[in-house]
Amino acid sequence: MNLHELARVYLRIGNTTFGGGDATIAALQREFVNKRRMLTDEQFGLLNGLSRITPGTNMIAFIAGSAWMFGGWRASLAAVGVVTAPTAALAVLITDAYETWSANAYAGGAIAAMTAAAVGMMFAAALLLVKSQWRRSRALRAAVLVTGSFLLSWKTPLSAVQTLVIAALAGYIWPEPEAE
Amino acid sequence: MNAFLLYLVLLKATCTSFSGMASLPVLRNDLVEHYHLLTDEQLTRAIAAGRTGPGPIGLYIVCAGYLAGGIPGAAAGLAAMNTPAFFIILLLKWLGVRAERPAVQRTIRSSLLAAAGLLIATSVRLAESAVTSPLEAGISAAAFGLLAFTAVDSVWIMAGAAAVGVAARLLQP
Repeated sequence: MNLHELARVYLRIGNTTFGGGDATIAALQREFVNKRRMLTDEQFGLLNGLSRITPGTNMIAFIAGSAWMFGGWRASLAAVGVVTAPTAALAVLITDAYETWSANAYAGGAIAAMTAAAVGMMFAAALLLVKSQWRRSRALRAAVLVTGSFLLSWKTPLSAVQTLVIAALAGYIWPEPEAE
Repeated sequence: MNAFLLYLVLLKATCTSFSGMASLPVLRNDLVEHYHLLTDEQLTRAIAAGRTGPGPIGLYIVCAGYLAGGIPGAAAGLAAMNTPAFFIILLLKWLGVRAERPAVQRTIRSSLLAAAGLLIATSVRLAESAVTSPLEAGISAAAFGLLAFTAVDSVWIMAGAAAVGVAARLLQP
């Protein structure tokens, strides 16, 4: 598959799949593992696992890594560009609309409600993060890390980065019990 | 702040997190508390705008960059969102099997759990400015429930919230 064709596949899937990163990764799995057989299950598993330990957004890391396996750095840069640039442009337009229309009574009502919804979704994102790491055998560890980082942020002048470094060090030193 | 410096500030947030929204506490620390480039209200609106269309959850960084520095700021946000993704190539090339080491895995798991704690603290702070009426509290709780416990897409949650917001204004005496 040439670079142009590859970019078209990423453009189509990356910009038409709603539901966040996991939905997009699932769509890419269908396309590259099941349909086109360009990735084996093992390669998909490796990419999926590594994308979760790559800093930043997992889905973009998955795209960068999978495209690199297909066509090197150029393919990787092209795939990330075609997936994120159009959605970023749309996000800027939406942000602009929020700012422009917030003075209008009805638009202002809609924006205030969507902003309140965004807050609820942030709490949900925190819960989903905890759920993704939750194992009964590691419950104490999870509770200490979540509560500890909350308290460090709430009660001390430590920055978020300092708190994350402390948590990472604690995680490195504190052995995990065997998974059930 | 020029676009390159803004890029570095946003990059600090994306490079120190392992999922889309986990970068929020670091971002708020810098843009709201340290540099005063955004208010909490603007940051919350950036998050709402980022969740209104398709794309990754971390897209709010572009919206925050736009509010902080216009189009160059949005470009800085896009670059900061994308840059850490290429670390996966280094991981594929050089780390390979070592990424599966228990110490590496548990360090990352700890960072994710700490990010959740930080995200709760940040969400509480943002809620103080964004949720100011019983109606907004209800919308916020409904959005939480729908995203956490159902498969409803965030775009539909945003559309529903907007409809409720407009209806509330129409029904206002």
